[in-house]
Amino acid sequence: MGAIYALVALGFVTISRASQIINFAQGEFVMLGGVATFFLLNGVRLPYPLAALIAVMIVVLVGFAMYLSVLYPLRKASILILIMATLGISIFLSSTSGLIFGTLPKALPPFTDEQPLMFWGISMLPQSVWVLVSTLVLLTFLYLLSHRTLLGKAMEASSTDPLGADLLGISRSLMVFLAFGVSAGVGAFAGILITPIFFTSYNSGTLLGLKGFIAAVLGGWGKNSGAILGGFVLGIVESLSLAFIPSGYKDAVAFVILLLILYFRPKGILGSPFIDSRRW
Amino acid sequence: MSLLSIEQLTKEYDGIRALDRVSLKVEGGSIKGLIGPNGAGKSTLFHLISGVEKPDSGKILFKKRDITNMESHERSALGIGRTFQTVQVWGNMTVVENVMAGMHRRLKGSLFSYGLWLPWIRTSEKEALKEAKEILNSLGLLGKWESTASQLPYGKQKLLELGRALAMKPQLLLLDEPASGLTLSEIEQLSERISEMRQKGVTVFIVEHHMGMVMEVADEIAVLHNGELIAEGKPENVRRNSVVMEAYLTRGSAGK
Amino acid sequence: MSSQPAKGAQKEFRKRDLFYLVPLWVLSLIAPDPYLYHKKEFKRKDLYYLGAIGLAPLTWSDPHFHHVMVLAGIYAILALGLSLFMGYAGQISLGHAAFFGIGAYTTAILTTRHGFSPFVALWASVLSASAVAYLIGRPILKLKGYFLALATLGFGEIFLVMVRESTDLTGGVIGIFGIPWFSVAGFSFDTYLKQYYLIWGVVAGLFIFSKNLVRSKLGRALLAVAASEDAASSVGINVPRIKLEIFVLGAAFAGLAGSLFACIMSTANPETFGLGVTVPIVMMVILGGMGTIYGPVAGAILLTWLMDILSRYQEYSLPIYSIILILLLIFFPDGIGTRLNVRILYLIGYWAKKRKRDEGKL
Repeated sequence: MGAIYALVALGFVTISRASQIINFAQGEFVMLGGVATFFLLNGVRLPYPLAALIAVMIVVLVGFAMYLSVLYPLRKASILILIMATLGISIFLSSTSGLIFGTLPKALPPFTDEQPLMFWGISMLPQSVWVLVSTLVLLTFLYLLSHRTLLGKAMEASSTDPLGADLLGISRSLMVFLAFGVSAGVGAFAGILITPIFFTSYNSGTLLGLKGFIAAVLGGWGKNSGAILGGFVLGIVESLSLAFIPSGYKDAVAFVILLLILYFRPKGILGSPFIDSRRW
Repeated sequence: MSLLSIEQLTKEYDGIRALDRVSLKVEGGSIKGLIGPNGAGKSTLFHLISGVEKPDSGKILFKKRDITNMESHERSALGIGRTFQTVQVWGNMTVVENVMAGMHRRLKGSLFSYGLWLPWIRTSEKEALKEAKEILNSLGLLGKWESTASQLPYGKQKLLELGRALAMKPQLLLLDEPASGLTLSEIEQLSERISEMRQKGVTVFIVEHHMGMVMEVADEIAVLHNGELIAEGKPENVRRNSVVMEAYLTRGSAGK
Repeated sequence: MSSQPAKGAQKEFRKRDLFYLVPLWVLSLIAPDPYLYHKKEFKRKDLYYLGAIGLAPLTWSDPHFHHVMVLAGIYAILALGLSLFMGYAGQISLGHAAFFGIGAYTTAILTTRHGFSPFVALWASVLSASAVAYLIGRPILKLKGYFLALATLGFGEIFLVMVRESTDLTGGVIGIFGIPWFSVAGFSFDTYLKQYYLIWGVVAGLFIFSKNLVRSKLGRALLAVAASEDAASSVGINVPRIKLEIFVLGAAFAGLAGSLFACIMSTANPETFGLGVTVPIVMMVILGGMGTIYGPVAGAILLTWLMDILSRYQEYSLPIYSIILILLLIFFPDGIGTRLNVRILYLIGYWAKKRKRDEGKL
């Protein structure tokens, strides 16, 4: 679970690094990824890898479309308007997918067989191993993308110093556009990874998105490493909490953590480069 | 006894000393100027006095009370008014409301008495409006009393900010570069207003780049350089002080 | 002003513009320029609106109309409280629905389990909502922007989880049934018409209260906090305290609305107090125009009717609803009234010129 939070958190950070927008519809990307794969697999009967690939592409397109249709016209709007617009998109995506794909919860088959594996005496489901491994691969890829390529640097520049980026000829809109694509892709990927373990239904995205956001804040807002750390910490704390409180309260744990972290250390565990500026 | 006294004030940002054991006094009823080249620590000193930031060490005494760790709204309640280097009028209100908001501390009443619009609230609001108009009149802004503050030209906004600070009836008024961005005639008007304040018994402490104006209105001048107080005294003495000359010449000319 | 121009040359022009012009022209009157000082005084116009609200149910005696307007009134109370906090003080709250819920559940529990009269329960609801707001507001309100939004949202979610899980107290997911009608001194509000007058009477009272607040020292302080907190504290405004005060006041409004809501619906269940309420009330504040008092009320009426009309399309209602919200946000980010005022002035000018030109031709 921690890995999923980390991926969602990463999606938030990717967009906010490029544009200072917080995309409250991030969780819907995850949901869409899972639901679309399910549809392609069982409805269209495509082979698993192909279905996953197409699903990711669909969601990336949704991310692009969302930016072009809503957030680009609103690029000069205030925080409140942006929040409401992304919340509106979130409602739209979840209700539309409920309409198209049906409202029943869906579960994908695991990638490989379900025999638990033993690592040093700890038993793990193969799917969990898959999740961990693919998350690590994706993280490495994103790390390279954002720190080692010109594109990643351009994205970073357009967020931290918009004017400077303009002067260098970096198109901010293009950067944000790409960031939306990347973050939608990451979200969809997370959705495909998670659906074999947990059921995904049309309305599960919102909560997942919020938890991912909390993970990003927890680890240190605006940092990739913070998002990853925050995701895993949140996942571990949540599962540990099950030992002490009834399972129904599990969803509240993340928000209690959020209120505590915002009160005592809004910079998050690793500190945040953005927190000092007035906007945050 | 001086109205404001600063003792051994030190403030560091990331290891750089913005202020280094600065001590100075502002006498009640006087006008004191603070000058220095860019980056000398003038604005830092102002932030510390008005409470936007807290010093690393040292003490600030106002009317013999230690205000070093007070919140800035408590300081203004004690009678410290200020203006800002970059104008901060409230653009979402009308001109007259800006001034009336300056009287915040002097108008009493709880949330409910305002919500129910009790009779004595009605009179106090009316008086506030009248007084705000008088202040605007003295600043020559009465003609625009109902327009939105953000629509005023820059110079007028600076005047409005002064009016807002005056509406507090402060004992000490901190002016952060009041003349920057103003035209010559506006500066003249401003120095007149500042000189008038002395007669009203308001103590004024000015940070200013515009040397001519400070020299004209101030009774006493302090000079900051690299976070240290290098000279203090009558304007004409400071002008002749060789250390001050050197500080300005080596840093390029910031005074005009 | 006539919104029906002479037929003729402008036909293709009118086709495009009339469909939003005619219904919304009324709204443009409702949302006056909020900035002028003298506009903040009460006017004869306010009396006309009061009269219109009072007479409307007699003209349209359809119970459905009454019921929707009752809901609109409840939303208007919520939006009024939120407007003080968001529109004036410039803060963001996405957790207002929780206070609504606290009010509703307080009333539900007190009336069904402990046999209190709804009137007593009403005050208890207001108190409990304000008390929670006071406790939660102290730590939260020092945050800004997105973090404030997130923290309030988090608070709302925690509240929902608590309600769903503490089954003994709140009835869990199913909720509480059989809350009695609202009644004062033996007079029971048991028809939609009576409820209409109850709710809109409360709205009018709170409206006057809010309007008094915003034209006083407090309103100025709120606007000052929104524009520049540094400058606000430089004139002695205690910024954290005034934010807290207005947050608590907004919560009190919401608690009141929740209590009335519980009495009218006679049920309380967690479905009603989540993001499904937060999004519309925030939208009402935005649409009505931030920093106005008429705005949220107008926005509440408009959006409640929109939701009512859309609910006929059943499963398609949510997608359509969200698209409309997004479109409204894109085209009217400053609220419908303010933008429309400008638009209408432009149109009047356009018609006048056009007519002159046509007459010249004739």
